[in-house]
Parts: sequence; C-alpha cells; structure tokens
Amino acid sequence: MRDSIYLAWRYLRHHRTKTLLLVLSLSVFLGLPLIMRAMSRATQQSLLSRAEATPLLLGKKGSSLDLVVEALYFQLKGAEPITKADVDALQATGLALGIPIRTGLMARGFPLVGTSLDYFPFRELRMADGRGLAMMGECVLGAEAARALGVGPGDALLTSPSTLFDLAGVYPLKLHVVGVLEPSYGPDDEAVFVDLRTAWVAEGMGHGHQDLARAGPDVVLKRKEGAVTANAKLVQYNEITDSNVDSFHFHGDPSSYPVSAAIVVPHDEKSGVLLRGRFVDAETRQLVRPAQVVDSLNKQIFRFERVLEIVVWTVGLATAVMFVLVMVLSWRLRAEELRTMTRLGCSRWKAAQIMGSEIVLMVGASVLIAGVFGIVMAQYGETWLQTLILRGS
Amino acid sequence: MRMARSTPARAVTIVMIVALVAMTVGCSKKSDPEPASGPMQPAQASIYTVNYPLSYFAERLAPADARVVFPVAPGIDPAFWKPSAEAVQEYQAASLILLNGAGYARWTSYATLPQAHIVVTADGCRDTYLRTEQSVRHQHGPEGAHAHSDLAFTTWLDLRLAACQASHIRDAVVERMPAAKDSISAEFETLERDLLDLDERLRNLGKALGNQPLLASHPVYQYLADAYGISIQSLHLEPDRELSDDDWKEVDAMLEQDRANWMLWEAPPLAATEARLRERGVTTVVFDPAGQSPSEGDFLSVMRANVARLECATGVKPCR
Repeated sequence: MRDSIYLAWRYLRHHRTKTLLLVLSLSVFLGLPLIMRAMSRATQQSLLSRAEATPLLLGKKGSSLDLVVEALYFQLKGAEPITKADVDALQATGLALGIPIRTGLMARGFPLVGTSLDYFPFRELRMADGRGLAMMGECVLGAEAARALGVGPGDALLTSPSTLFDLAGVYPLKLHVVGVLEPSYGPDDEAVFVDLRTAWVAEGMGHGHQDLARAGPDVVLKRKEGAVTANAKLVQYNEITDSNVDSFHFHGDPSSYPVSAAIVVPHDEKSGVLLRGRFVDAETRQLVRPAQVVDSLNKQIFRFERVLEIVVWTVGLATAVMFVLVMVLSWRLRAEELRTMTRLGCSRWKAAQIMGSEIVLMVGASVLIAGVFGIVMAQYGETWLQTLILRGS
Repeated sequence: MRMARSTPARAVTIVMIVALVAMTVGCSKKSDPEPASGPMQPAQASIYTVNYPLSYFAERLAPADARVVFPVAPGIDPAFWKPSAEAVQEYQAASLILLNGAGYARWTSYATLPQAHIVVTADGCRDTYLRTEQSVRHQHGPEGAHAHSDLAFTTWLDLRLAACQASHIRDAVVERMPAAKDSISAEFETLERDLLDLDERLRNLGKALGNQPLLASHPVYQYLADAYGISIQSLHLEPDRELSDDDWKEVDAMLEQDRANWMLWEAPPLAATEARLRERGVTTVVFDPAGQSPSEGDFLSVMRANVARLECATGVKPCR
C-alpha cells in the first residue's frame, strides 16, 4: 500500500499545476456550503440563545426588532427611549426585577452600556481581572474590548464625543477602567459597562463643576438672594475623581432621564404572565419577548440561507462533475501508462490502488484546506455575520 | 484491455464518491463555547446601614442570626463619610441596604449599589423633606437655577418619623425573612412604643417652650424643631474648637435678634465656650443626634438622656 501511495504522490508532484487546481476547486466545493451553513446556524443559535436568556424587554412602542437589537446586542438602531421612572414603576409592581440598559454613546469604537449591578449576575458575567463597578466614573470592559484597546484595570478610557464638530456639545468623559470581564462569547465581550448615572453624565445630563459659593468674580456673573449665575469660564470636570465626585449632580428629576430599554426578569411564570397582560393595551410602552422577535428574524435569515444554499450547491455540483470529468479524462490519457505498468507486472488492482491513492491524497489536502478555512471562519465569521445581520436588520 | 482500463477507473470513481459523501457527513457544527457561570456578587444574609439609628432599629428588629453592619468608623460623621471601593463592594454584597433618605450620606448618590436591595427608610414618611437654610442656588448655562444637597437629613430627630423609618425596616426584614415575621412584629411594637414615649415627652416640651427660641451649634435639628414646634436658630460651630471673634459676633447678633436662653450642642462644648455663653445668659444643652454609635449606651438611652437634659434645662421637668 505504501508503494502505491508513494507512486501516487510522485505523480501528483510531477503534475503540480493540475493537482493544485483540482485541490483548490475541491476545497471550495467542500468548504463553502458547509462553512456557510455552520456559520449561519451558529449565528442563529447565538442570537437565539441570548434572546432566550432574556425573559422580557420593556421599551417604547415601535419596532420590537430595533428594541431587541439595541438592548441585547448593543447595535444602535435609534429606538426611542423610555424613562428611569418606567423601570422604577416596573420594579414597584413586585412582579419582576428591572435591569435598565442605556446605549447611545461609544467609547473608542465600543458601545458604552449604562446599566445596574443586577446586569452582571443576570448574564452570568464574571470578572477576569480587577473588580466590579463601585463608583460613578468607573467602567468595566468586555474581554474583546479590553484586548482590542489594550487597556486594563488602572487605565483610563475616553467616551467618544456624540457630535464631533459641536463645540458647545458634550465633551468626552474620562472613565476609569476598574475591571475586565471573562469572555462570554457574545455582545458583552465588546461592550464598555458603566453605571447608569455615569452614562447620563457622559451624555451631558449630569455634570460636576467648581464650587460656585467659593467662585471668584471672574466666574460669577451675578449673585442675588442666594442665587449665583456663572459665566462660561466655570470649570466643568471631564473626569470623576474622589476629590470632585461630590460636585457631580443632575439637573431635574433623574427618574425622567432616558433609558433605552429594561430587561425584565419576572420572579416566576405567573408574574411574567401578569406583567405581559398589563402591557397588552399600553399605548406608549411595549413588553416584548426577545426570543419571539429573534425567532422571526431567524426565519427570515433561514429563507435567505435556503436560496444561498441552492446557489452554492449548484456551483458545488458543477465543481464535482468537473472533478470527475478531469479524473476520467486523465485516466484515458494515462491508458498507455497503465498498459506499461501491466506489462511490468503490475496487477489491475495495484493500478487501481495507485489511482485511488491519488484521489485520496487530493481529497485529503482539500479537506485540510477546507478545515483550516472553516476553523478561521468559525472563529471570526460568526461575529462578523452576526454584526452584518444585526446592522442590516 | 478495455476491461483493464475500466475496472480501476470505476473503482476509483466509487472511492471518490464514497470519500465525498464521508466528507459531507463528517463535517460537524461548531460546538458552543462553554458559558461563564456563577454569580458575580454573591449575596450574603447581611443588613448594611448608613447611620447608627438605622443600625439600632435593624438590630432590634432583625432575628439574632442576621448580621447588621454599620461600617463607618467611630469619630467619622456618617453623613459625610466617603467609602472606599472595597467598602462599597461590601454594601453591594449585602442582602439589604438601609438608606436614610433626604439626601443623607451623599456617597450613596454616586456609588453603584444594587437597587433591588435598597430600602430608603424615610421615603413615604412625609410629603416633603425639610430644606436647609444654607443652600446656594446657582445658574450656569441654559438649564436654569438649581441648588445642591439642600435637604435637611437628620430625620430621626422627629421620633414619629423615626418610628415610620423603623416600620419600613420591619417590612423589608419580614420580606426577606418571612419565617421570623411574628418575632419581628413583636419587636417592632416594643420599639415603636419606646420611640413614641419619647415623642410624647418632646411634644409636651415643645408646648411648654411655646415661642421661646433656642440656638443650635449646627444645622441638624430641623426635624426636631418642625415636629415639636420649637424655634431653633442654627450656627456652624464645632464643640471641640474654640470660637473665633467672628463666631462670637455671629452668636451675639443672633441673641440680639432672638433672645435665646438655651443652646443645643451635638457634644459638650469646651469649658471656655460654655462659660462665655453663660455670661450671655445662655445655658448649653447637649442634644446628641446619635448619627454615629455612642461610646456608651444605645440610641434609645442617648435620646432619653437628650430629652431629660432639655427638660431639665428648660425647667419642664425637675433635674435628676
């Protein structure tokens, strides 16, 4: 058998170009449909598993898909926000835990997610390095965000300005990185988590500044009956530190501040049913089941995938037929060679063994290439495809 | 010869097809990664409080196996304490966090605490909180004028309000430890009686004082004044510091405006301060708000002593 493989190997080496073309076309034939299918299934499963792990989602009435995509996958879709008061009211029913999610800003290309401490145990996120959020102005990074930015506990991270050329707009807030999460193989890996109030400060709804009671005349426009009016010279802080945290405050009632959505975790099944009943006729709010929304998205993806599969398999079949044709023609051209081998005493079975070995070697090489390609795509393709699907949804 | 050519070709074709089928069947779906598991912050059966009165109420009401923790070191005013990140994490791990309300312990407004475990004990006990006189309103930008931290927060000096706060603690503890409901309710009744007895004595004292004003070394007695109809004018004086000339001018100006015979202090003032006040006809009365753990006794004994001293100084009841 070894001599058959040796002869086959020598033949393939001798006809390098033909072998290479056949191996490559076979790799594409083997790899493409399977990789597409595996990636698509993995993406659908990944989307669905996150949605299924989220019992209910409260948001402003409108596109439920936008709401789910924004609150679960942190892809900004411009879903209308609800208010913190909605989350408090939900909590006050005693039927469920409400976890606020505030998205909208970015920090060096990664989504800034304002939430409460309950989010981390809910998603079963554990710290890989450092500690959890303790004070306003701190952030915890997802594993991928930390790796890509090359930052860890003790480093700082600036939020991205919401409007680049708006000089009167909100300036970036310097966040203190206090921890990095263990990889969770989902959107949490690419998020920058902050306390909800920190997110509001980053959006410009809260701020800190020097003490006006002690401010000099160059800063104060007028003082009248316990009221002080400051001018634009007033120093506003772009970083929350131990020494200035006391000065940070919000104007107005924080319960009226925006929250993109709230993850609703009913205490039991009955509570979930009762809550859903309360929102059936709600005019401005909706309580959706993310699994249902993602399932309908998956069905659309599946329909598209079927069309794509037909195309890929047709191309694949053509490739396979071509491969068979090339091999059969090759054997016809090698008729003289086979006759010589027989004359030299080689049995028909041995000749078949040699040619079979040639095919096994080529198919083996194709499988190897398709496998390597598959591993690479499985590693990076799922995230890429997921992002593509969520952005396009 | 035709047979010789066709047989290996057929065999190889069959092998090729079998190999392709094997490849197709053999490829499997990418396995799901192992998800992270386990809670991030495991809750403990412990009750954390932000001041001593809440800690005292919780200790009296909670079952013996519950751990009540008030982590502010003696000598530090819990209202202005700034916890370390580690201390905040201890609060985060508590099964119940008792806040006072009315903006007390400002650190709670910028620390990250689990909302589901927080009970703001004074919320819902009155329509509005009292405001301090010292807040400065200011304006910078288009949002309009506003002021910071202008709520008076020593709520428990209104002992009915303190009883209300204790009732909220009772409800929270019962919710978490329903098996101990009977003993908690019984303890609450005793605590409420203790607090309302003192409330009654202060009400009588307020009536006896009528319009007679009192001075206070610090603006912490707003709820005492409001609940019992006592007129109290506050200064910003520290009992352990000698008063400056400016301080005395301020005291004199206040005495000129309102002829007060008594001055409330959070702790005994320096002997020199007490003597100079006596020269002005003002008797010092220690009324410890008990925000921090007392060196002796407990919240109730401190409050009883406060009330007794005030009754004695004002002549409402004979001194013991």
